[in-house]
Amino acid sequence: MMNQYMQLIALLELSITCAVVLNILLQKLFQMEFPFAARVALVLLLGNIFFWPLGMSLELPLSAYVRGVTGDLSIVTMLLLWGALLPSPKKTPLEFKAPIALIAIMFYPLALGFGMLDPYAWGYGSIGLLTCVVAFAILCGLAGWTKGVWILSVAIIAWAAHWHESANLWDYLLDPFLAIWALFAIPSAIYLKRREKAQSGYLFRAG
Amino acid sequence: MSRVIAFCFLLLASVLGYLHIDSRPAWVPFVGGDSVENIQGSEELRDPMETSKPVKDLKNASPAKPTQPSLRMDWLPDTGAPSVHAASLIALRDGAVRAFWFAGSREGAPDVVINTAVFDPQAARWSAPTVVMDRVSAEKGLSRYIAKLGNPVPARMADGRMQLFFVTVSIGGWAGSSISTVISDDEGLTWGQPQRLISSPLINLSTLVKSPAILFADGRLGLPAYHEWIGRFGEFLRIEANQVIDKRRMSSGRGAIQPVVFVDGVQDASAFFRQTRSSSQLKQIPVSETRDAGQSWVASKDLEIPNPNSALAALTLANGTRLMVLNNIDAGRYRLVMVIRESNSPQWKAIQVLEDDESLANDQRREFSYPYLVSASGADAHLAYTWDRKKIRHIYFSANWFKHASNSLKEKEAQ
Repeated sequence: MMNQYMQLIALLELSITCAVVLNILLQKLFQMEFPFAARVALVLLLGNIFFWPLGMSLELPLSAYVRGVTGDLSIVTMLLLWGALLPSPKKTPLEFKAPIALIAIMFYPLALGFGMLDPYAWGYGSIGLLTCVVAFAILCGLAGWTKGVWILSVAIIAWAAHWHESANLWDYLLDPFLAIWALFAIPSAIYLKRREKAQSGYLFRAG
Repeated sequence: MSRVIAFCFLLLASVLGYLHIDSRPAWVPFVGGDSVENIQGSEELRDPMETSKPVKDLKNASPAKPTQPSLRMDWLPDTGAPSVHAASLIALRDGAVRAFWFAGSREGAPDVVINTAVFDPQAARWSAPTVVMDRVSAEKGLSRYIAKLGNPVPARMADGRMQLFFVTVSIGGWAGSSISTVISDDEGLTWGQPQRLISSPLINLSTLVKSPAILFADGRLGLPAYHEWIGRFGEFLRIEANQVIDKRRMSSGRGAIQPVVFVDGVQDASAFFRQTRSSSQLKQIPVSETRDAGQSWVASKDLEIPNPNSALAALTLANGTRLMVLNNIDAGRYRLVMVIRESNSPQWKAIQVLEDDESLANDQRREFSYPYLVSASGADAHLAYTWDRKKIRHIYFSANWFKHASNSLKEKEAQ
C-alpha cells in the first residue's frame, strides 16, 4: 500500500516537474515572462497531461516514460525548478552553484568506481554527511539565500521520511541534472561578468 | 524574520535526520558458513534423488572409478523461446528446487520474460513453466518505462518468504541496468508488486545481480551485486525487504564483476569474481576478502584458475566442502568444469568436466555459461547453466556422487 502511494507521489512530482520545465522552455522560446496566473494554469494543464494515462498505444502515463530515463529527481532539483513558478523568482546564487559543481566533480567519479572510497555509501546513515549538509544550509542562510535553507531542510526531512524509493541522503540532495546545471553555471557566470566589465569599460572609455 | 523561521525549520530537519540515522540498524555479523537459498533445506540431510529413476547419464561423466554413481541431467522446460539465459535456483521447503531463467527471441529483446518451474526430486521431473515477470507487468508495477528484463536471482528471507531480485533496463544496454525485487509468500506460486532498489547515484544506472545472497545475523540480506559501465566492480548491498540500507565496494576499477561469496566465518568471507580485465592482464579469478562481515573488502591474490570473462557459480556444502562451476579456459566458454575444495584443504581441484567442445573447430564450439549452484539437502547439489543459449541444462549431484568423487580424487593423489 505504502509502495503504491510512493509510486503515485513520484509520478505526480515528475509530472509537475515536466510541466514546469516545459513552462520555462516556452518562456525562453517566446522570450517573454508569462504572468503568474498563466504559468500556474499552464503547469496544471501540462501536469495533468503527464500524470494521467493517455491510452492509445501508451502503456503508461507520460511521466512514467520520463521516470524510466531520469529516475526520481532529487528534492533539491525539484524544488529549485518548482521555485521558478513563484511570482518573482530570484536567481539561484553562484555561491550555491559553485560548491554543488565542485562536490559533483569529486563525488561522481568516486561513486562510480574510481578507487575503493565510495562517498555514496555515506548517504545511508553518516552523521558526518548530515552535519556537512546542515552546515552548508546554515552558510546559505547566513549568505542571505533563505530559500536554500528551506530546500535543504525539506530534502533532509524527505530522506528521514523515506519519501522516495531511495534510502540514501545523496539521492535527495544531488542528481546529475543538478550537477550539470551547476557546472554550466560557472562558465556562464564568468562570461556574464566579463561582458559586464567590458560594457562598463565602454561607458567610461576616454573620449 | 523569515531567516529565523528558516533556521528553525532547519533545526527540525536536523533533529529528524539525526533520529533517522540513530534508528538505522547496526552492521552485524554473517550467519556463519552458508548462503541464503540453502537455509531452509539444511534441516534435512536426505538425498531424495537417490531412489528416483535416473534421467540420463552425463557425457564424460566419471573419469575415475566404474562404481561412481552417475550424474543425473535433464533440461529446464522448453518455453519455445529461441534464446534462454541466466538460470538460477532456490531450494523449497519440501525438498524441491525452483528455477528461474529469462527467455525470449534474443537476449535483451522486449519480449524477454522471467520464467520459473519447479523440479520434483521424487519424480525427477520439472513442472510446466510459468511467467514470473514480463516487461509490461514490470513497468506497471514499478511505475516507469522498462525496455528489457535480465538476470533473476532468488533468495530466502529470514521470515521464510521468497524474494526474487531481477535486472531491468530502461535505457541503453546492460550498463543501464537497475535491480528490482518481488516477494512471494507461497514459495514462488504468486508474487507481490515489484519494487525498485536504488543503489547508484547516477539516475540509478548500472547495478546488476547474478549471485546468491548471504544472510546476516539480524535476518537482513547481503546481496553481491556489480556495476558494469564506467567502472566494472563488485558491490555488497545490505538489503532490508525492498530497500538498500547500506552498501560497500568489493573491488574497484574495470576488472571484476559478478562476485560470488563464500562465508568463512561470522566476520570473514571471500569473494571470487568474473574477470573483465584488459587483454594485457592476467585472465584469472580476481579475489576480495572481508574480515568485518562485509563492511570493508580488500583485493587479494588472484585464484590461479583461468577465467575467460565468464560467470562462476559457488556453493558450500554442509560438511564445509566448497564447490565452484566455471569455464577454466583463457578464452571462450566451451568448457565447463566443477572444482572442489574440501574443508581441510587449501587447494581447488577439478572434480568433473561437465562440458567440453575443445575438440571441435572454433566456429562449432558451443557456449556453456552462467552456472548456478544450490543444495536442497546440504549434501547434494543442483546445477543449472546456459547450454548454447538455446537451452538450460540441469544436473543433479547426489551426496553419494560427491563421496565417490572425493574418494577417487584422494586415490588419484595417493598414486
